[in-house]
Amino acid sequence: MSEGLRLDGLTKRYGGNAALQGVTLAVPDDTYISVLGPSGSGKTVLLRVIAGFEQPDAGEVRFAGERIDQMPAHRRGIGFVFQNFALFPHLSVRDNIAFGLRHRDVSPLSDSGALRAKVDAMIDLVGLGGLADRGVHQISGGQRQRVALARTLVTEPRLVLLDEPLGALDANLRSRMRAELRQIRERLGVTFLHVTGSESEALAMGDRVIVLDRGRVGQFDEPDAVYTQPASANVARFLNCYNIFAGHLDGGRFMAAGGAFVLPNARRAAPEPAYCIRQDLIDIRPSDAAMRAGETGLVARFVTSEYSGSSVQYFFEVEGGRAVEVEAHLSHRRPEDLEPKRPYTLAWHADQALVFG
Amino acid sequence: MSTTLAPAALNEPQVQDPGRRRGWAPYLLIAPGAIWMLLFLVLPILMMVYVSFWTQTTFAIKPILTTKSWVTFFSSETYLSSLWTTVRIWLLVLGCTVIVGYPTALFVGLFVRNKTLSTVLLVLCVIPFWTSFLIRVLAWRPMLGEQGAINIILMGLGIIREPISALLFTELSVVIGMTQIYCVFMVGPIAFMLSRIDPNIIEAARDLGASFPRIFRKIILPLSMPGVVVGAIFVSVMVLGEFATSAALSGRKTNMLGNIIVTQVGSLKWAFAAVAGVVLTVVMGMVVALLLRVVDLRREL
Amino acid sequence: MQGPVIKPALAVYTGLFILFLYGPFFVLGILSFQTGPEGGPQFPIVEWSTYWYRHILGLTPPSRIAPLPIGEALVRSLVLAFMTMVVSTLLGVLSAQAFRSRFKGSGVVFYLIVLGMMVPGVLVGLGMALVANTLGIDRTWWGTAFVLHVVYTFPFAFLVMLAIFNRFDASVEEAAWSLGVSPARTFRHVTFPLIWPGVLSAMLFAFTLSYDEFSRTLFASGRELTLPLAIYGTFSVEIHPNVFAFGVLTTLFSFALLAVYAILMGLSVRRARRLAIQEDIT
Repeated sequence: MSEGLRLDGLTKRYGGNAALQGVTLAVPDDTYISVLGPSGSGKTVLLRVIAGFEQPDAGEVRFAGERIDQMPAHRRGIGFVFQNFALFPHLSVRDNIAFGLRHRDVSPLSDSGALRAKVDAMIDLVGLGGLADRGVHQISGGQRQRVALARTLVTEPRLVLLDEPLGALDANLRSRMRAELRQIRERLGVTFLHVTGSESEALAMGDRVIVLDRGRVGQFDEPDAVYTQPASANVARFLNCYNIFAGHLDGGRFMAAGGAFVLPNARRAAPEPAYCIRQDLIDIRPSDAAMRAGETGLVARFVTSEYSGSSVQYFFEVEGGRAVEVEAHLSHRRPEDLEPKRPYTLAWHADQALVFG
Repeated sequence: MSTTLAPAALNEPQVQDPGRRRGWAPYLLIAPGAIWMLLFLVLPILMMVYVSFWTQTTFAIKPILTTKSWVTFFSSETYLSSLWTTVRIWLLVLGCTVIVGYPTALFVGLFVRNKTLSTVLLVLCVIPFWTSFLIRVLAWRPMLGEQGAINIILMGLGIIREPISALLFTELSVVIGMTQIYCVFMVGPIAFMLSRIDPNIIEAARDLGASFPRIFRKIILPLSMPGVVVGAIFVSVMVLGEFATSAALSGRKTNMLGNIIVTQVGSLKWAFAAVAGVVLTVVMGMVVALLLRVVDLRREL
Repeated sequence: MQGPVIKPALAVYTGLFILFLYGPFFVLGILSFQTGPEGGPQFPIVEWSTYWYRHILGLTPPSRIAPLPIGEALVRSLVLAFMTMVVSTLLGVLSAQAFRSRFKGSGVVFYLIVLGMMVPGVLVGLGMALVANTLGIDRTWWGTAFVLHVVYTFPFAFLVMLAIFNRFDASVEEAAWSLGVSPARTFRHVTFPLIWPGVLSAMLFAFTLSYDEFSRTLFASGRELTLPLAIYGTFSVEIHPNVFAFGVLTTLFSFALLAVYAILMGLSVRRARRLAIQEDIT
């Protein structure tokens, strides 16, 4: 794999607020990278700095070995797909897609035959056949998304930055576009850097996932590693599938508001102690059932459940009002009928928990 | 360019020139316009101030500094009375535009809630601006003259027997003409402010039993004040700098500072003209400052 | 809204207001059809005729009333308004573009520009005349007067463009850059087509303001008159209905201009519909 994108100490401030604080990363070529972070984590700023729309206050951006952070945006050879698509409203679908090839600084395509051939090939690739001469306001949201993608891909950028590209689409279309985006990328062999606020999108699409936490890289790893071994309590929180308890360590136990948990063998250093257990690793039992060897857990009152086809989400409440969620996959077990307001024992293997502090 | 960042530099990122490349672009873009204004607006005004201290001879001015023109201005009956005339006409026209404009603005801005009708009314107000300003001034002559439309109508209705000759070539005609020409600048801002009043507030006040005069005093008037001030600034600036209307409709009897400047320039008395110009500038500055005192526009808009 | 009296009363008042605005002009229009050359600029109408219209166009036999010196003045005014329109729209677009990013001193520059429309023509005209005299420059309508016209109209163009850019979605420009298109070409092929309706309004503003401007011109132009100066010249001498006829004609001309603008706007209406401001999806 050749050298792709390298960020070194990238920092960007707005007034007194740091949007990026020393982001250092190396992204290999020909991969699909998701960037996950809650709003305000600096993920859009990161893309805009890489694209050259914003200047970093400090740090370097290198691409294919070349330093590009002082380069104007149009010389970087980096494509950008906007959340609102940012199509040229005065041009047809075809002219939108041809725009970069026709007007770019470096080797513009003036031969109309070659231009047409390239654009037509791209129109076919993204499945826009028959719509080429429509105005961009005469097509649907999903079709506009494809135009935005085609317009970028046809210029053969070495890297494409996608800023919440599926954010403006409805849920149905979104899941279809996920698969399509991956396919198109694989066919073209470019690197995608896909920013999203949705953890499922990030995990599903990325060959690797960058988790941004308040302007810093919280974790950069493969999806299953991020999912099973989040690097910090914050990363675990962004994944939206962990119960996270604050508390303190006392002897061999973690003392939290809802109970005292047996510690696993490993734990990671962190300034704020936190105990995390994934929602799908918790077993629900009657309140009088005993813990088995190597298990730990707590007693909580059942509140309600949410059925979503392949799984059920159970909501519990421990004393003090703190919520605990349990996710049960229906392929593993049948849905249980739980009685609201009754206490149940929630148990898990102590070693499956992640402890920071 | 390549810089190796030491670890220390990472913890304490040095503040680079924020976007060297794009940092200069706004200055390059603004430069032509700013330079134009400096050369052709600020410089002439400064020149006027400077020349007001030059020495005036019969047909020329010499760059020998003196306050003689100033002394002449403030000891001359003609100049002082023109200053007074300017202030008087300004106050009269300002008052008239408010009186004439406010009820119209009230109707257009507050009472007409039909979008089409209010647009039509506003367009009707704007159309006269596509006629030359000077033609609009001249149009008052056949209106106000002894054989003018108004006298003919009034005599036809039997209200008067003799034509009123005081209508034209008096200060009255100047005030009438200016009121007509400038009142739209008063109507616009007031109507705009009134149209932003939430009708529910007035409904609520009415439900609580408030009478219209009371609602007007407590709600409508205070909320429309910023519009009145903006309109007053427009009207004041234009009226104070006027000379054509007073020349055309007073038969050169009413001399405002603007008229003084025109005649002085005509007789090559540049230094006197400059003094009148500086006085006019000061008056205008004071008027605008005063108006801005009345209502804090930054807060209200 | 408030009782049965106030609304109708205000409606009547507004009607009178409109009459007040238009009354003089109707009278002027009627009197322009006064008979000539002996008919005066007042009532009663001796006989309806189009004499004064023909008089303006030079179609009447010579009489003691000199024809209005409008032929060349009209050409000068149109040329001047055109030059002013081009330059002030250009400056307006450039300056408004600059104001899209924050820069030091933007507050001062903003007021500097807006000052241009606030300072009365007498003052800036006098100042310009003084500058020209001191530097020994001849005062001409295409020189000293022209720059003052721009001082006056550029702020209007600037404010119009500022309003347009306020509603402009900048991401289409960034999209173009990310496709490898330089900022200059992006401006030409993306930004400009999208702000074109605004530019057209700025041009209309600048043209009409300059075309009608006379107080700056009075001081800053030389012996060659523009159209408003020619009309201003009739103030001192006795006026004849030819000035009224001329007023009617110029008004018709203004409406023709307005129609051209409307047609240009209409032509870009399809574009205008998909216009500049992409509906914000977020």
